[in-house]
Amino acid sequence: MTPVLVLDNVTKKYGQTVAVDGVSFRAEPGRLFGLLGPNGAGKSSTIRMITYITTPDSGTVTLGGEPVGPSTQQRMGYLPEERGLYKKMKVGEQLVYLAQLKGMDTAGAEASVRKWLDRFGASDWFGKRVDELSKGMQQKVQFVSTVAHDPDLYIFDEPFSGLDPINADVLQETVLDLRDRGKTVLFASHRMEQVERLCDDLCLISQGRVVLRGTLREVKARYGRDTATVEWDGPADWVGRLADAGGVRVLSQTDGRAELRLVSAGPNDVLERAIADGAEVLQFGLHAPPLTEIFRTAVEEGVQA
Amino acid sequence: MRSKILLIARSEYLRRILTKGFLIALLLAPLGLVLVFALPILVTTLSPSDEAERRVAVLDESGRLYEAVAEAMPERFVTEPADAPLDSLRARVLDERLDLAVVLPASLLEGEGEATALSRSGGGLSQYDDVRGAVREAVRNVRLADVGATDEVTAVFAERPSVRSVTVTESGDAADGAFLATGIGYMSGLIIYMLVFIYGSLVMRGVIEEKQNRIVEVIASSVRPFELLMGKVLGIGAVGLTQIIAWVALGAGALTVMGPLLGAASGPPDVPVPQGAPPPDLPFDISAVAALMTPGFLIVLVLCFLGGYLFYAALFAAVGSAVEQESDAQTLSLPVTLPAVIPMLFLFPILDQPDSVLSTVLSILPPFSTVILPVRIAVVDVPLWQTLLALGLLAAAFVGAIWVAARIYRVGILSYGKKPTLADLWRWLRTA
Repeated sequence: MTPVLVLDNVTKKYGQTVAVDGVSFRAEPGRLFGLLGPNGAGKSSTIRMITYITTPDSGTVTLGGEPVGPSTQQRMGYLPEERGLYKKMKVGEQLVYLAQLKGMDTAGAEASVRKWLDRFGASDWFGKRVDELSKGMQQKVQFVSTVAHDPDLYIFDEPFSGLDPINADVLQETVLDLRDRGKTVLFASHRMEQVERLCDDLCLISQGRVVLRGTLREVKARYGRDTATVEWDGPADWVGRLADAGGVRVLSQTDGRAELRLVSAGPNDVLERAIADGAEVLQFGLHAPPLTEIFRTAVEEGVQA
Repeated sequence: MRSKILLIARSEYLRRILTKGFLIALLLAPLGLVLVFALPILVTTLSPSDEAERRVAVLDESGRLYEAVAEAMPERFVTEPADAPLDSLRARVLDERLDLAVVLPASLLEGEGEATALSRSGGGLSQYDDVRGAVREAVRNVRLADVGATDEVTAVFAERPSVRSVTVTESGDAADGAFLATGIGYMSGLIIYMLVFIYGSLVMRGVIEEKQNRIVEVIASSVRPFELLMGKVLGIGAVGLTQIIAWVALGAGALTVMGPLLGAASGPPDVPVPQGAPPPDLPFDISAVAALMTPGFLIVLVLCFLGGYLFYAALFAAVGSAVEQESDAQTLSLPVTLPAVIPMLFLFPILDQPDSVLSTVLSILPPFSTVILPVRIAVVDVPLWQTLLALGLLAAAFVGAIWVAARIYRVGILSYGKKPTLADLWRWLRTA
């Protein structure tokens, strides 16, 4: 049985507020699925229904064809955005307990916990109390609690927030490794550069609705090569002039480098303007807009629709 | 599902029982209790001479009572015949040259009139008792002598036959039953009240802690909220039960050790206890305590604790689930703590009249029965049907409380942000 996660027309209301409004998507095994959206878009509400913490008012959530429930809970690992552990408990005792709650027996849980701690170079934390550890170490412990029972579906909500780059890299490696082992990984974030770097598929929700869905490649292809990156020497005021005229939108600009979304101007217009104003163009490239930009466009269009 | 509840209960139990705090509480609480009860006994028995001498002037208007009164007065009263009129005695009491002035009118010997004792501040109940006793004894003896009573008659009048209160049980009779039973009833009520409260708020604190450090989200993705609630309630309840059992064991041990000690302390302090002599009299009869602590009583005690605990702990958990920090729980927990305090207010009327309608009703009606039932059972013979009815109703009450609590809890643990009101809790309770 492949642990594919399917949401079909899922809706959840809290009082008068519609938190999730007819959301559908599929997260396939062996792929990294990005669930994106601004804060308050309904990501956490959606995740709570996947993890069977709450139930939808209408629509279905299934894992491997089975409606989610106590049995699918055992096959999921969930790292919530708001981290938390029992502060006074020892790391090992706590991780074994949490794995047992996921249905593992004591011996299996302990072996797995030790294996994962070893992997993170944290074997000697086993007997330490959680509140003796630094914040970064606690994050790793929490990560282990998500993976120790070897689930089929992993749900990481902003997994790298608050981590230093080195630790973030370690966890990122691990997440990619899980994907390569054929697990289903759902990754919720509003950090687009991470999603762009990691995800195979993505689903963007805004105000409880899906506004964009597909593989990363598809999504980017949909917007075409409408963004130009220019590097040059010399004066820079041509960029402002072009933008003021409404020809482009400036996505980013540093000294001698600019990323421009082409609105009404074509690539040639940009080049001509730069050269005419005395800039010496060193490099010029056309590519799809960055995900952040796609994200913004999609949300704006979603709001208008 | 059952195994998850047990797993959670086990973890909650071990997490609390294996701490220094628990061991300290386990040992210190009974020690404190023993001190509270033993200290007054020790103080009164060990320090009979701490009362300063009191100078007493006796104005004997009959001219025949002084000797008898002086003799009948306890030792600490140093008496002298008054050589001045009442006015100057009063002045001497006022400026502290005298502690007490006693005026004995001549009419006392005709069976009329009354004596007057002048002091600056009343001098306390025991001083009044002492003076009254001495005057009565003196007047009686003088009048007996006047009518020519023999020594035998005088001796008869001096006699003070005592009444021994004996509690009759199947397993034997024991002395001083009524006092002991009241004491034990009071203690049982107090202990159950305290334990239910302590462990109930421990559950609340546990729930708040899980919500505060956000781990509840992880747990809720592994087990049903009801399982978490029950596991926590049962695990912490088991800690309480452990405490009770340990206390009973400690108490039995302490009684055998402390009993003779207290007995020795209450005996005349300057008389050495000879080797091999029978143990000195205890301030209370151990066999009487044993007679009251029947297995039936202990079982009811434990059941009342469990029932009351389950009832209140579930409701405390519901309150805890609604707030994010303990200080916010105050107002919300009022509807829970108020009914818990009520039986304590009725404790003395009930001990006084254990068979009144009020007592009977409160001992059957949950949740008050958790405290009142053991109190009544200790003091009077409660009919079996009343005990069974009370326990049955208590069981129904805690099942109901758990049902209510589970519905609030399930919504509460996931709610962050604005502080909920009682109306919010009511809404959570009613949403499916």
